[in-house]
Amino acid sequence: MNDIVMIASVILILTGMTAAIFNRDPFDKLISLSVLIAGVFPFIVERGFLDVAIAIALIAPLSTIFTLMVCRRVQV
Amino acid sequence: MALEDQVPVVAGVHMIALYICAVIAVYAALRVITERNSMRKLPFLNVVSFAVTGIIALLLPHPLTIAAAAAYFVGSTLESNAIASTWAGGLKRP
Amino acid sequence: MLDEPIRILIAALICWFNFMIIDLIFKLPERGGVSGATAIAQEVEKGGGKLNGGYMMGNIVSSPDASAGTLLAGCGVYCAGLPGGLFAALLVYIGNRICYDPGYAGTTGCITATFIVYGAVQSGWFAASDFIAGMVIAILTIQGLSSVHASRLIAWLWKIRCRLLRGCT
Repeated sequence: MNDIVMIASVILILTGMTAAIFNRDPFDKLISLSVLIAGVFPFIVERGFLDVAIAIALIAPLSTIFTLMVCRRVQV
Repeated sequence: MALEDQVPVVAGVHMIALYICAVIAVYAALRVITERNSMRKLPFLNVVSFAVTGIIALLLPHPLTIAAAAAYFVGSTLESNAIASTWAGGLKRP
Repeated sequence: MLDEPIRILIAALICWFNFMIIDLIFKLPERGGVSGATAIAQEVEKGGGKLNGGYMMGNIVSSPDASAGTLLAGCGVYCAGLPGGLFAALLVYIGNRICYDPGYAGTTGCITATFIVYGAVQSGWFAASDFIAGMVIAILTIQGLSSVHASRLIAWLWKIRCRLLRGCT
């Protein structure tokens, strides 16, 4: 992989991680976690593991949906 | 079939397109964390997933890459849809 | 063949007009398709934008529409030529059905973008990678720069479309 794409992916991962640490609202935390997952993908695809990439792309939204069941907002 | 003629032989010919996708992904990620409103973060997250889909397709030109890019994009869209619908209280309580 | 940055800018213009025309024809700015799109539209309006533009931004976020179709058509033609683009159209249709959407706009946009990209590559003026970067730039101008100005632009275009074609309230 060339350097600029690798640096960009590392910036995505670090940005998502830092924002997920400092956020208070659970929805903001989930959005930051999806930025982190977006940064992981170029590393998987660059090695050629396309089946792993497809599996993670299908598992990650399902885990987000299961987490959302916990933090569902109460109707006002 | 002339499939092999259209697939680029060397993956590193079109470098500027890859750099543009990488720069836009970083810019949109910074906009995501600096936006205060939780719902107005989601369009910037959509820009991140567009740019990462472009990076995936440009890094590895192989026919199975289309399935990987489409799976990532649909998964990210479904995630945004679920977050927005739950924030709006749209999921029916059984 | 021109230089690569000029080609990417021209491809961005072509992609922008392709997905914007198809989204306007299929009435995406009329109402939110799911409740999440409506929530995004109301937040955009609360921040100073227009409601119709917010509906279209919410619909782009919450289901793969013509913009996603254009991007995946570019990826398909880049990876496998014309059959790749049509396979991408099938995947966009499946993704639309997953996200509770009828899926007309995404599939139509993907098929038209497939023929546009394939024709541009066959004519020898463009490479398929230009359209991928061009679509990323085009979606940046709608979703990424300023939600207030983008929603006002979309509301203005929606008003023009209502004047030209009948069928919107």
